[in-house]
Amino acid sequence: MRIDIHPILQFDREREISFLYNGNKIKAFEGETIASALHAAGIKVLSHSIKLNRPRGFFCGIGKCSSCLMRVNGVPNVRTCITPVEDGMVVESDVQQLPSAEFPGSNKEDISVDILVVGAGPAGISAAIEAGKRGVSVLLVDENPMLGGQLIKQTHKFFGSRKERAGTRGIKIAEELEEQVRELEKNGKVKILPGTSVFGYYGGGSSHMLGAANKMSNVMYHINAKKVIFACGAQENMLSFPGNDLPGVYGAGGVQTLMNVYGIKPGKRVLMIGAGNVGLIVSYQLLQAGVEVDRVVEAMPRIGGYSVHAAKLRRNGVPIYTSHSVKEVYGKDRVEGAIVAKLDENWNFVEGSEEDVKCDTVCLAVGLTPSARLLFQAGVKRDYIPEAGGYVAIHNMEMETSVKGIYVAGDSSGIEEASTAMLEGKIAGLSASISLTGRDSSTTAKMEEYIKTLEEMRRGPFGSKAREAKRKILEEASNEGI
Amino acid sequence: MIEKADVVIVGGGVNGCALAYELSLKGIKAVVVERKHLASGATGRCGAGIRQQWSSRENAALAIESVRIFERLEEELGSSIGLRQGGYLIAIHDEKDMEQAEKNVEMQRSLGLDVSILEADEINDIVPILDIEGMKAIGATFCPTDGHADPFKTTYAYANAAMRNGAEIYRFTEVQDIVTDGEEIKAVRTNRGTIKTGVVVNAAGAWSKKIAEMAGIELPNVPYKKEIIVTERMTRIFDAMVISFRDGIYFSQQDEGQILGGIPPPETVTGYKTEPTLSFLEHMSSTLTRYAPVLKHINVLRQWTGFYDVTPDALPILGEVKGLKGFIQCNGFSGHGFMLSPMVAKLLAQLIAGEKTSLPIGRLNLERFEKMDFEKEKSVVG
Repeated sequence: MRIDIHPILQFDREREISFLYNGNKIKAFEGETIASALHAAGIKVLSHSIKLNRPRGFFCGIGKCSSCLMRVNGVPNVRTCITPVEDGMVVESDVQQLPSAEFPGSNKEDISVDILVVGAGPAGISAAIEAGKRGVSVLLVDENPMLGGQLIKQTHKFFGSRKERAGTRGIKIAEELEEQVRELEKNGKVKILPGTSVFGYYGGGSSHMLGAANKMSNVMYHINAKKVIFACGAQENMLSFPGNDLPGVYGAGGVQTLMNVYGIKPGKRVLMIGAGNVGLIVSYQLLQAGVEVDRVVEAMPRIGGYSVHAAKLRRNGVPIYTSHSVKEVYGKDRVEGAIVAKLDENWNFVEGSEEDVKCDTVCLAVGLTPSARLLFQAGVKRDYIPEAGGYVAIHNMEMETSVKGIYVAGDSSGIEEASTAMLEGKIAGLSASISLTGRDSSTTAKMEEYIKTLEEMRRGPFGSKAREAKRKILEEASNEGI
Repeated sequence: MIEKADVVIVGGGVNGCALAYELSLKGIKAVVVERKHLASGATGRCGAGIRQQWSSRENAALAIESVRIFERLEEELGSSIGLRQGGYLIAIHDEKDMEQAEKNVEMQRSLGLDVSILEADEINDIVPILDIEGMKAIGATFCPTDGHADPFKTTYAYANAAMRNGAEIYRFTEVQDIVTDGEEIKAVRTNRGTIKTGVVVNAAGAWSKKIAEMAGIELPNVPYKKEIIVTERMTRIFDAMVISFRDGIYFSQQDEGQILGGIPPPETVTGYKTEPTLSFLEHMSSTLTRYAPVLKHINVLRQWTGFYDVTPDALPILGEVKGLKGFIQCNGFSGHGFMLSPMVAKLLAQLIAGEKTSLPIGRLNLERFEKMDFEKEKSVVG
């Protein structure tokens, strides 16, 4: 199941190690997570649901879905998809037994900082770089062990303006961003805490108090920040159909993580649900990894993603069925196939149009929901904006929310793309810095330039949804006097 | 909206809904008006414990009768209330505690309650994960018929049964004024219309003081912000609620395996503030893991806040207010409204129907504070 030859990626696997899973020795490589190593060993059932004891498999791959909770070295409820595997680890699927591990003791640390950035994806790192360059102190926190957010799995080349890195692959952008922010870290401008979850907002006023914790090292942080930028990204949407929790049903992003970060194939034959950009791109990446894609089905009457991605798939013989969706996924303990059918104009399945697709993997690329709960806890004004992917924080042009000193950027401000997320990050970073150091002609010019570029990127037919989302958000912000 | 009702109950928590049900059994038409959704206040945010071990005879008697009702409530209302009688284990920390415990147990036993005093080494038979040294216990009291129920299920079971019997429940309906002629109740004005009535029951929880003000009555109640945490799930280990009056902590394990509990927040906050605090989270976590060190590896999933509607003696205010006919109080539960609700509803329904109440509630009237004729309930946590 490990990918050995790939047209773009090279997997230089680190030292081979082994760990125990339910008493059996499993081979792994350093740098893999527990869940990905298990997957490579063909173990697809990672846990069982608590009430109905249904098998659960790898779904999100980024610590959000709870399908992969296991007991690791005597500690229960460990998210194995974001926990690096170690030599000699003892991993058990019986998650709910009492902890048997010694508690190593915990530490508490107080951090006071000018700007806290929550989330080290394209928006968060860009914000940290922008602010760090301007002489304010910055703390960048992310719950994943690696920086870069979802960029680290995006092997495709970006579109848009050359100046904003069009033509460059996401993984390359991630490397560049990390390099820049690490440089600022070296110079003491930015402090970085990976593997650390910001778990709560505990009050504002002239500054903001947040709690964070690193579960691996048992450190709890009290963070006092003058300004906070939330760049928490998004999570993948689920679709409701019988069998949607069978191991072998993945979020498209989870599959991307598995393939492009860890070099592991999700299965042999895939049914892709959704022909937006994510569905199309991941389908192509599956082909690159040597996985068959049976077809792509899309509930809408037309393909949502860029035609260049759709054309690439078609050239490789993958059909795209519009006005089609998945009716049911079946199998015993893992996906064995799926029933797809045509949809009529009222979104009902057309009787008699069912087709049985034999596959071991079903990939859901049906959109994202902004991760904005910390913002909501902080009490920002929010609204449901369908074009933005759900409830979002109302923010102004300079990315400030209704709570003074709290900013938002990237997908948590409305679902869009990595390229616009980076710009929003820069704007939020600049905006938060200005509020501390004051505005002058050069920062004003910079802000104008960023906002202009952002607007340019949203031009054209594929920016229409984002344009509409942001139009509604800005209109509401102006009505609210934000 | 209905224009006229026998009784208007302000507040769709468990007490308001239970009372609507009890009144419906007597053929009295009640209308419940609730500002948000049912159980949106303290009911839906509480620790859900049901305890009969009290220091005051009033509370103990109310609680014992309530448990008898809880035990047959599923059958009576026709839907699940999630009752589990796993007992309450109350830590005794020193000789002074022991003295009070002995007094309490004697009074409770005189009311017929099955309650006993455990030696320190018997505590782990009830709750195996407790560290007797860490919790500094020299013993405990234990009553096996104490327990907990699901506040949402209970409230909805009462509300649905009441509606089946003709009661009406208006959600998202805010009371704006209580109309009186100075001597008796005339009507309740809401944002959705006015309901003529001769009887208003103030079951508005932490907002009861504000409701009473609309009728020109001053209550001594003060809203206190309280906090709770819940952990992730783990294997079922114990059935009892563990509490300590000295540390103020209470916690139990839910049917699905989560540990749920609270403790008084280090910073006492009165008023209607709802923000959770980091200091509570840390104080609760460190005290909880002192009691049960094995929980150190268990993650907290959520914390939230709610209100205690606290009276000077931590006992509820029940019954009609002197000088304003038809204005009935059903508030000031001081953190114990859920567990007392079945019996309180029964008693107030009797009172409203003009019957003799099956337990005396005269001592729980509002006037006791004016006369300074009260004794404080000592057995309070959270």
